[in-house]
Amino acid sequence: MSNADIALMAHLMRRAGFGASRDELEQLVDHGYENVVEDLLIPGNANVMPDDVIRRYHSEMAEMRELNSAGAYWMYRMVTTENQLEEKLALFWHGLFATGYSKLNQASALVNQINTFRRHSLGSFRTMLVELSKDPAMIIWLDNHDNHRDNINENYGRELLELFSMGVGNYTEDDIKECARAFTGWTLGNAEYMSTRASRDSIWPYSRINWHFNYRDYDHDDGEKTFLGHTGNFNGDDIIDIIVQQEATARFISTRLLQYFAADEVGDAAEAVINDMMASYFESKYEIRSVLRTLFNSDYFKSDDARFARVKGPVELVVGAVRMAGTYQEPTFGADQLARQSMYMGQGIFQPPSVEGWHEGAEWIDSGALVERVNFVGQELGDPDNPGVKAIIDRMARQSDGVLSPEEQVAGCADLIGPLELSELTATSIQEFASEQGPADLREGSRTEADDQRIANLLRLLTATREYQLA
Amino acid sequence: MTTATAVSAGPMEYLKTIGVTTNQSGRGFINPYDCAFTKDGRIMVLNHADAARTALIRIGVLNWDEEYLGEFSKGTGRGEGQWMLPISMTISADQRIHLTDEHLHRVTVFDTDGDFIRMWGEKGDGAGQLNGPAGVAVAADGTVYVAEQYNHRVQRFTSEGEPISHWGEQGEGPGQFNMPWGLTLDTAGNVYVADWRNDRVQKFTKDGQHLATYGSSGTGEGEFSRPSAVAVDSEGYIYVADWGNERVLLLDSDGKFVQSLRGQATLSKWAQDFMSVNPDEYNTRQIANLVPDLPDHLDTPYLISAQTEPYFWGPVSLRLDPEEKLFVVEANRHRIQVYQRRKD
Repeated sequence: MSNADIALMAHLMRRAGFGASRDELEQLVDHGYENVVEDLLIPGNANVMPDDVIRRYHSEMAEMRELNSAGAYWMYRMVTTENQLEEKLALFWHGLFATGYSKLNQASALVNQINTFRRHSLGSFRTMLVELSKDPAMIIWLDNHDNHRDNINENYGRELLELFSMGVGNYTEDDIKECARAFTGWTLGNAEYMSTRASRDSIWPYSRINWHFNYRDYDHDDGEKTFLGHTGNFNGDDIIDIIVQQEATARFISTRLLQYFAADEVGDAAEAVINDMMASYFESKYEIRSVLRTLFNSDYFKSDDARFARVKGPVELVVGAVRMAGTYQEPTFGADQLARQSMYMGQGIFQPPSVEGWHEGAEWIDSGALVERVNFVGQELGDPDNPGVKAIIDRMARQSDGVLSPEEQVAGCADLIGPLELSELTATSIQEFASEQGPADLREGSRTEADDQRIANLLRLLTATREYQLA
Repeated sequence: MTTATAVSAGPMEYLKTIGVTTNQSGRGFINPYDCAFTKDGRIMVLNHADAARTALIRIGVLNWDEEYLGEFSKGTGRGEGQWMLPISMTISADQRIHLTDEHLHRVTVFDTDGDFIRMWGEKGDGAGQLNGPAGVAVAADGTVYVAEQYNHRVQRFTSEGEPISHWGEQGEGPGQFNMPWGLTLDTAGNVYVADWRNDRVQKFTKDGQHLATYGSSGTGEGEFSRPSAVAVDSEGYIYVADWGNERVLLLDSDGKFVQSLRGQATLSKWAQDFMSVNPDEYNTRQIANLVPDLPDHLDTPYLISAQTEPYFWGPVSLRLDPEEKLFVVEANRHRIQVYQRRKD
């Protein structure tokens, strides 16, 4: 098993998931790259932390009323899932179809929206758009409950075309109006009561009542419409049928997926992959699984151009660190901190800054966010009592004669936390720190807490490097 | 469309709903987890809140006429009488409130004015230690029974907190447990335990000899999904909070199924007060269908209850008052539904 194989698999798991331990990477390399891609694309049992255990311990996650509790509930799933791509994709859709708590005052609707994304993540983009249009959180977020037969509201129709499927420049203002007409009557059950409660942020008398989709035939405009050159008595799903056939839609979704999974910036090499992804989109009748298969198996995705070419988003940074540290594997007092930490770093789950979602890439990093990023991850990976950290130290002990020089400690930590290829400047700085700490004796019988802490200190320091902060 | 489970016919009669949600101190409940009754007619309600809002943990005091009489709390922390994650509460014959805290791994005793008397327990699996204490009951002779969810056992203490004995271990066999929750005693002193993750109720003698097992996993008559609490009346009828199925089951003294309740909450007195001063909410509520047909993917008891306000949602405890009215405590709806078995 070569270092190159490990590095490539680590790259895949950072992108299609939140990262993997060295033991996991070795197993995956044995399984073969293309087989691993298929396993990611056809997920089995996620074996996540059970809902009953979560709800018994966390009354707030049973009720699912509070924003950060709902966010932490999802993060428990990200931290414990065996289907990493499923959660990574759910996070992608959350960013693309950005829906925020501030207008809904209904955390459970957002959790249910993520469940919908998870159900349809890898399937037909047509189905995804239909389900998105029926999603109660989206309906309230973009006012489709106010989109009536005799008085249309264009919000959802406009964003469906601009932000969710085609992109600006591929339709007219008339298309937006006709689209909105087609979605009249798509609302939620007890819309008047629920929207009143949402606008008042009412928890009375007996807490939130969850939302569900409801179609009001009497409020639907069944008249003739002309949309993108097609004419008929279109309903919402007819409009989506037309949208998914557009080349602009194929380009839009392929580009967004490439930027999320491969590289923040789209260069010439990436353009060729986008064309291949678009071809897969049409050949598979709009199946996201096929589009991603093309991406993950492309030479471009595997190339050096795509390695460490993305800034880790706050959620993937937090989840990746927690998974590696082996913490939060069971219900934990104060778990809402998971959601708060990613919010402090600039990505509050269920709190996108606008319907456009988060501005990603280098915009994740500013001086305040960077401090939060370094502090949290350093705390997780700098504690030798955390099971994942202990496993790294144990492995370093096994891989050596037990006494590690400062140079060996740095090399071992950079390898097992990544593998990371440190720049000369980074390596020199960390080496200086390691030399001050001195050697670590990890031999059984002579290993002390101070030896473990030396290794953990280096892991903590490595999390602050540019190399670790990139995916 | 998902069809809501019908309430089966039987002797249980709905009386009324008590409580309203709140997010501050004063009248109302915040994730109520248990209730208990004093000899002088006061109803004590344990408000569990959650880890992010521990300042709101308190015991609220009211009466059957829904007059709010006050509340008490010693605050959050590890000090005397303080709490972090209180789970279960009962009042002994000598009018002492006994309360378990699963985060602090201890039992705390108050008088009914809220004054601290004593506490015991620390995390561990030895005699006298506790790990995740949940259900609590006190026998007529003062013996205190505690179900320990993470030690998978029941432990007995003297009224002073000295350990007497314990039984149980993790497993599925008779006398074994998987994260037990609620616990109660019948008039003969037998012990009933809601064996939560084994989806059953077990009955023991007062010193832990296994007598019977009721129920198995499922959603049918007499089947359970994660039962959280059990109560037994003077005629031996067994009431079970079938938490995972979001319902309450009535069994006869042999454990045979009698009736299933799904919940039928109405506006409490406090809820009516809220509605009377919020007409916009009241008017839109009046045209709403609170028991709606739901899309197919909303097909679990949890999801159905989350959308169906009158149904039980998170029934974490049930208790019988001195008149054997059944109080079903709903953590997620911040209220108590009250029923009574018709004795023909």
